[in-house]
This record gives sequence, C-alpha cells and structure tokens, in this order.
Amino acid sequence: MSDNSSSTTVKLEDNFLRQKVREYARRQRQELRTSATDALRFGLGKIKEEIKEIEHLSVKDVNGLVARIKRRKHATSDDMYRLSYAFLQGNENINAFADKQGAVQVLVKELTGTDLTRRFDAAECFCNFSLGEAHVCEKIATLAGTYLVTYMDIKEPRLKRSCLWTLANILSTSNKATTTLLQMQLVPKLWKLYTAPADDLNVYQEDAAICLYLIATSAADLLSSEDRRYIAEHVHEKCASGPASEYYMYIIFQTEILRLEQELCLRNSKNLLSFVETCLQGDFKTPTEKFKVIYAVRVFTNIVATFTCIDNAKLIKNLVETLNRLFALQDESLTMDLLRLVKNIMNLQQSDKLLDHLQVHAFGSMQLYI
Amino acid sequence: METKTSPFLLTKDQLSKILHEIPAGYIKPTDPLLVATMPPLPPYQKLGVLVERDDIVDAGQSTISSQSCNKNIPTSVTQSYTCAECKRTLPTAHLLDLHITEQHDTYFAASVERGDKPMFSCYLEECTFKMHTAKERKDHCITVHKFPPNYRFDQSKSKAYHEKSRNEASMDVDELAGPTHNKIPYIKAFSFGHYTQRTFNTRRERREPGTTLLDVQDMKDALEDMD
Repeated sequence: MSDNSSSTTVKLEDNFLRQKVREYARRQRQELRTSATDALRFGLGKIKEEIKEIEHLSVKDVNGLVARIKRRKHATSDDMYRLSYAFLQGNENINAFADKQGAVQVLVKELTGTDLTRRFDAAECFCNFSLGEAHVCEKIATLAGTYLVTYMDIKEPRLKRSCLWTLANILSTSNKATTTLLQMQLVPKLWKLYTAPADDLNVYQEDAAICLYLIATSAADLLSSEDRRYIAEHVHEKCASGPASEYYMYIIFQTEILRLEQELCLRNSKNLLSFVETCLQGDFKTPTEKFKVIYAVRVFTNIVATFTCIDNAKLIKNLVETLNRLFALQDESLTMDLLRLVKNIMNLQQSDKLLDHLQVHAFGSMQLYI
Repeated sequence: METKTSPFLLTKDQLSKILHEIPAGYIKPTDPLLVATMPPLPPYQKLGVLVERDDIVDAGQSTISSQSCNKNIPTSVTQSYTCAECKRTLPTAHLLDLHITEQHDTYFAASVERGDKPMFSCYLEECTFKMHTAKERKDHCITVHKFPPNYRFDQSKSKAYHEKSRNEASMDVDELAGPTHNKIPYIKAFSFGHYTQRTFNTRRERREPGTTLLDVQDMKDALEDMD
C-alpha cells in the first residue's frame, strides 16, 4: 500500500515537472520566434530596384499622413508603416516629413508610449527617417536621441536593434548629431552591448561594434574624457573569440586610450597583450582578418611605446616567430608597421639582438632608406 | 589588393639603416604614414529597415500575451519594467529603480527632506552625479546630456500625477480635518438635468472641526434620555 502511494507521489511530481518543462519550452519557442522575425534592409531608394511591384508613395502622400497624425496627435501602426515605406523610397519624402513642424514629435510620442507594437513601428520609422541628410539626423538626435540611447538598456530585441540601426545611420551622417548623442552617454551603453558575452539573447555585438567603429572613425576627437575613461576601465571585458572582435583593436587605436588613459590601461595591459597575441595569429586572407592584424600591430606598437615599465617577459610569447610569419606575408604596409613595432621593442630592450633573428623581405619603397 | 612579392631578404645592416629612418614611439591615428594604409573594410552604407507587417503584429500579440501572463515580473525578454505599487511602466531597470526610490521610499523622502547630501541620481545610469532636488537633476540632464525639457520618463511628472490621484482618491474626512478646510470654496452640485436630489444633502451648513464628536456625544445623551 505504502509502495503504491509513494509511486503515485513520484508520478505526480513527474507530471508536474514535465508540465513545467513543457511550459518553459513553449515560452522559449515563442520568444525565439519573436526575435527571429526577418527584417529586410534597404538603402535609400533601393527598394524600388529590388521590388518592382511596390506601391509608389509621393510627397503628397507623406503630407497627407503628416496632416493626419498631427491632427489626431498620435499615429496608428498603419500610418507609421506607410511612413517607413515612404522614407525608403526617396529623400524627397524624408525632407517633406522633416519640414513639417510637430510631425517628429508624434513619432517620439509613439516611440515612448505604452503600446509595444506602435513602439516597434515608431522605431522602424525613425530608422528609415535616419536615411536622410545631416539636418534630418540632427533633428532625430535632438528630439529622439535620448530615447534611442535609453532603449539600449531595454529587453525587446526588435526595438533595441532598430534603435541601434538608427544610431548607426545618424553616426555615419552628421558630426553635430554625433556630438549630441555622445553627450547622452552613448559610448558606455554601446561598450556594454559590445562586450556582453554572446548568447541567444545578447546578439547586438556586431551592431554596437559598427556604431563604435563609426565613432572611432569620424568622431574620436569628440569623445569626452569620461567616455575614454569608461572604455579604459572596461577594456578587459571584451573576449578575443567573441563576435565582432575584429573592431576591437581599431577602436582602441583610434580612441587613443593607451596614451590618454595610461594608468587604467596599464592595469589591463595583460589582457590587451593577450588580445593582441590572438589577433596576430590571424591568417591575413580576408579583408576582416587584414583589418584585425594591421590594427593589432599598431596597438602593440603603442603598448610598447607607452608602457616602458612592461617586463620583457610579458611581451607576447614567441615574438620572433610571430614577427617572421607576418613579415613573410610580404604586405608592404604591414611590413612598415611591423618595423615601427620592431624599433619600439629595440628601444625598450635597448639592444638590437632581435634583428639577428628577423627575416624581412625588401620592397621598392625601402630602397630609399638603404 | 595585389601584393608585390620580394625574393630578397634584408641583411641586419640594411634593417638597421631602415630602422634608423623610421620614426619610433607612439603612433597617432593622424600619423601621415598611416594615411596611405586606410582600413581595408568597405565604407559603412546607411540602411533602412522593412519588416513584414504580419510579423510585427504577431510579435506584438505574443508580447502582449506574455505580459498578461507574467504581470510584475520584470525578467521576461519582451517585458517592460512595471512598478508593483502604482503600476507605472518604465522601459529600463534603472528608471524603475529611480521611480521606486523616489516615489515610494519613505527613507529616501526623509533623506531628501533632511537635505544633507544629494539624493537624486541622474536618469542616465552611467552618469554618477547626484543632485539635491529633482529640478536640479532635470537642469543637469538638459544642459549636460541634452535631454528634451519634456523628458517622457521624468519622475517628477509622475509625482505630480501621483499626488493628484491620491488627493482625488482620499476620503473627505481627511480633507475636512485639515487646516485648509476653510479655504475650499463651496461648489454647487451639478444636476445634469436630473433635478430630484438623490444623494445626501450637500447644502448642510459646514461644521467647525471637532464638532462631529460633540454631535456623537449629543446623540449618546439623547439615547440615554430615551432609555
């Protein structure tokens, strides 16, 4: 009898557990389905080339939509979908919308409202709106920038990604808009996303890296000391094998944190050197690999130049072997960069012993020096 | 990109000569020698987005359904952060944290009243500045972080709303007992066409505070007399 009752209890527990697992699996499936929705990406006007049957939306249509959303003081999903569609079709539609006072504010209202679907629509509308020229991007940065930056911390994947795409478009267009966004502490938020460990839910490393790359390329001098300090403090958080790690060395080099935040970087020099070491193992075949190796060499050169207190033993292992492998690639610009690195190492070691082991191929431009 | 290969290896002397000519030290991004070697990545191309409409609707519905299933649990992927006390929804954990502290924490309120140290954190999580008042915080956000003056997740706005709603919900007895009772003007009740009065008589003379207890006493006396 007691055996029977214990088996019944075990069965009940089993069922309960199974039910819980099923429920968990169902919810997981639903979440994955939600985040897996494909988003087509188009450049300005490209949609007409790609989809011939598309409905043409003119400036008149945009004006009509603007009048409607302003009158109602809110935009429906339909309105925003048509607006996004219109923005994709041409710059004249974007300019027509930008010229109307109070229209962007309606989108901001929807972006920050409680209705999730309308938030998605508004974010996608802003993404397409950001295909416009500098004045349009400046308007977005001023009126909606705060919310785009705030939404870097939210959980909804689609909304977050749309905001990241919008930010990337803005950052690539206008320095004035970039300055505004940087004042909203965009860099720490992007760095957090970029260095987050990769898993099913953290898939924004690539988009965050592109934004940081754009900042490092055209607005590195606009970075505040706080931004640089933040990067320097958290420089060790990026894993070399993680997604979008090819941008890491470029960002470190362009932002000059090694020179401007020496103390903080010195603390993390071990991590930086190990990152450099991993990058230098690249095969130099694809443009991405070349990019990674070239900037790893440049960062390594700067590490050696800046941290004179670094112990020789701390420098990367098998240095001669690595250098000879890179010299053997016979890429002229890489060789010149490597020679600058060699000179810094010789200055640090105060000897030219290293030269005995190097195998450097001669190039035309070197004839000038010999 | 084509690379010219060279069969000749440099000797140590040749290398030394070359290295003698090459600048040493820190390489700046603006170094003229680097300009020739631009990053080999293609330039960024601006892209818009187009999502299949049905997918958006599906996602919205699934999100809504998951929200209705898991109220007040701010851990799900598709959820906003909702205050369990007043049901206000905020987009980030930091804003919810600020909201709960500033609107529902009595210790925080007491600390603000004491005013010995700044208590109001910036709306940006990464900014470490603290301010004495909500107004100072708002000014800081507008001037330093370029926030719009009508920031939509402003806590002080919700406080005003909160107080208003609390006043509306509060009992008349509390209001009558207050010192501002005499300042409240008498407002004639609206009838909206229904002239028959179906409620308590609102035109009774206003009593001074404390008279209610006397009335009860009178009532008791009256009841004793009846016995």
